[in-house]
Amino acid sequence: MNRTVFGRRTALLSGVAAFAAPAVLRAQADPIKLATLTPLTGAGGSYGPAMAKAAAGVVAAVNEAGGVLGRKVVLTSEDDQTNPDAGVRAARKLIDVDKVSAIMGTWASAVTTAVAPLCWESKTFLTSTSGADSITLLPHQGYLVRTQPNTQLQVGHAGEFLLSIGCKKAFTLVPQTPFSQASLDVLNRVMTKGGGASSGLIYDDKKTTYRTEVDQALRYAPDAIFCAGYTPDTVVLLKDLYRAGFKGKIIGQAYAINAKLIEQVGQPEIVEGVYTFAPSPAEGSGAYERVKKITGLANPDPYSSQVYDHASMVLMAMAQAKDTTGTAVKDNIRKICQGGGKAVDNAVDGIKAIAAGEKVDYAGASGPCDFDDKGDILDCKFRYEQLKAGKPTLVKIF
Amino acid sequence: MSLILQAIVNGLVSGALLAVPAIGFTAMFAVLRFPNFSVSGIATLGAFAGYVAYGAGFQMVGSLAVAFVVAGAVGLLLDQAAHLPLVKQGALPAAIASIASGLVLENVTRLMFGNDMRGYDRPIARDVHVGDIRFSPQQLETMAVAVAIMLAIFAALAFTRIGKAMRASADNPELAALKGIRPERVAMMASFVGLGLVGVGGMLLGLDSSIDPLTGARILLSIFAAAVLGGLGSAPGAVLGAFLIGIAEELSVLVVGSPYRSAVGFFAILIVLSLRPRGLLGERAF
Repeated sequence: MNRTVFGRRTALLSGVAAFAAPAVLRAQADPIKLATLTPLTGAGGSYGPAMAKAAAGVVAAVNEAGGVLGRKVVLTSEDDQTNPDAGVRAARKLIDVDKVSAIMGTWASAVTTAVAPLCWESKTFLTSTSGADSITLLPHQGYLVRTQPNTQLQVGHAGEFLLSIGCKKAFTLVPQTPFSQASLDVLNRVMTKGGGASSGLIYDDKKTTYRTEVDQALRYAPDAIFCAGYTPDTVVLLKDLYRAGFKGKIIGQAYAINAKLIEQVGQPEIVEGVYTFAPSPAEGSGAYERVKKITGLANPDPYSSQVYDHASMVLMAMAQAKDTTGTAVKDNIRKICQGGGKAVDNAVDGIKAIAAGEKVDYAGASGPCDFDDKGDILDCKFRYEQLKAGKPTLVKIF
Repeated sequence: MSLILQAIVNGLVSGALLAVPAIGFTAMFAVLRFPNFSVSGIATLGAFAGYVAYGAGFQMVGSLAVAFVVAGAVGLLLDQAAHLPLVKQGALPAAIASIASGLVLENVTRLMFGNDMRGYDRPIARDVHVGDIRFSPQQLETMAVAVAIMLAIFAALAFTRIGKAMRASADNPELAALKGIRPERVAMMASFVGLGLVGVGGMLLGLDSSIDPLTGARILLSIFAAAVLGGLGSAPGAVLGAFLIGIAEELSVLVVGSPYRSAVGFFAILIVLSLRPRGLLGERAF
């Protein structure tokens, strides 16, 4: 009869193995932590919920396909209330308590500007849908990219559109924000270059009436007014422009002049004929179709499409890096979305291709997603609509 | 020149709307002897109470009455429970408590109605032009309501028993008590009427624009500046101060731009406290 000898050395090895194995297993099972920080309430409250949903859809699909590097992904959603103070509080919680590797989807420029320093200091990657030029000029050390075109690109396109519909004299009314001065300067440059002229003023978005500001605008005798604010102040502004009897063209950002604004204004004739513009999502692409499915919306807004891309790119960058830190995302995000390779439009296919050793080039629901060194996207198309009988109708995409 | 005249007209309209809560604020100070900063939350509450009433089919005057009663009742409750017990220890603890009450009210409103802006479902009409100057018929209507409320307050203070009692208590509380005026009753009336007026002011300011939980916080500085400028404790002073602040804020837009508008209130307070601490009309003009 054989006796099993259980010596001291074996006992020690067994003990070490017994303690160590769960730790190794636990490390492998630790989920990857990501977060969305979108405006679920406040001026951007009509966009944030769908944005968070788009990211959740990407994470669910990736988890269903086995996760990233064999690990599940956990997504936390926080509300920035379209307010820098609330945004900073939420970001602190996400970084210090939840210990996320990336924060995705900040919308208002003021929120992104406030949250960005927390991110680069903690080496947390930040993806944004804000447009102010100043954001990518921050010393973010590469820990920030944005899919929203900057003010130069947005207002420049709006100026070209105004010239194309025969406007020669534009006046900009813009609230005090990080993009105020750039909006005035860019429109002036584009209008002047196109043989027109432009002027404008910066207003206090806390005022309850803009009668005096409207008077100043009308004295310039513009044939177009660019309302460059957010929904709450633009509601007041459009009412005051109507009261003043302004008959020229009005244009504004589609994120401000939206269904909520039309509802709050309450009188269709006040918004009749108003033009809106927004970065155009990649309509018809596979990624955009998936955003439709995830959000349940027939026409998802550009921000949901952008956040879908944020989540996809962050997860693919992690797969590319074989590491899940914010720094790994920073160092690898451009490797998976530009510079050629297998064209992919979703994270699941991208992660599979990367695991197979292929180079991938992601183009998503918001467009090509190619970034310059500062973190700005290189180009995108814009969608122009006009409100007719309270409904937006497509004018053109260019 | 017409731009300046138009700014003055706009300032008169906003000054008239500002005067109503400023009278409420100053009347409370005259009787209760502390600056009640919960007016920010109370103005928001009044605006939302009026909004609900207006949505339920009340006309403007009926909705203003609802705003008055709700704001006055909640304000009275807060004064009795949180502010007045602290006045015995000085005006400062009561003032600090009132800031906290205002924040609580603002957040209760946020909890109940959310952060979104809401507008009264009121048809908007084109302005009427008189020469180069334009007037909004609705704003003139709102201004007329504000002026009527002011006249009613002054008539009540001058001719009614409780109005006279409030003036007597404000002027000399001890002497008033000797004459049989019950200070607790006058204090309660001052709280109810004062904060009711603040609630009405919140609704009047929201009628032509929109309301949200920060409606009151936005006008707090202007209300305080109007009351200080006219003389804290003086109702006519509050009216004068409100018109001056309203006009100064609109004129400042032409000179320095509206982002610096709130500096006008601070500047007015600084100048008055430095040069004429009792205000333009003095505190005894109640």
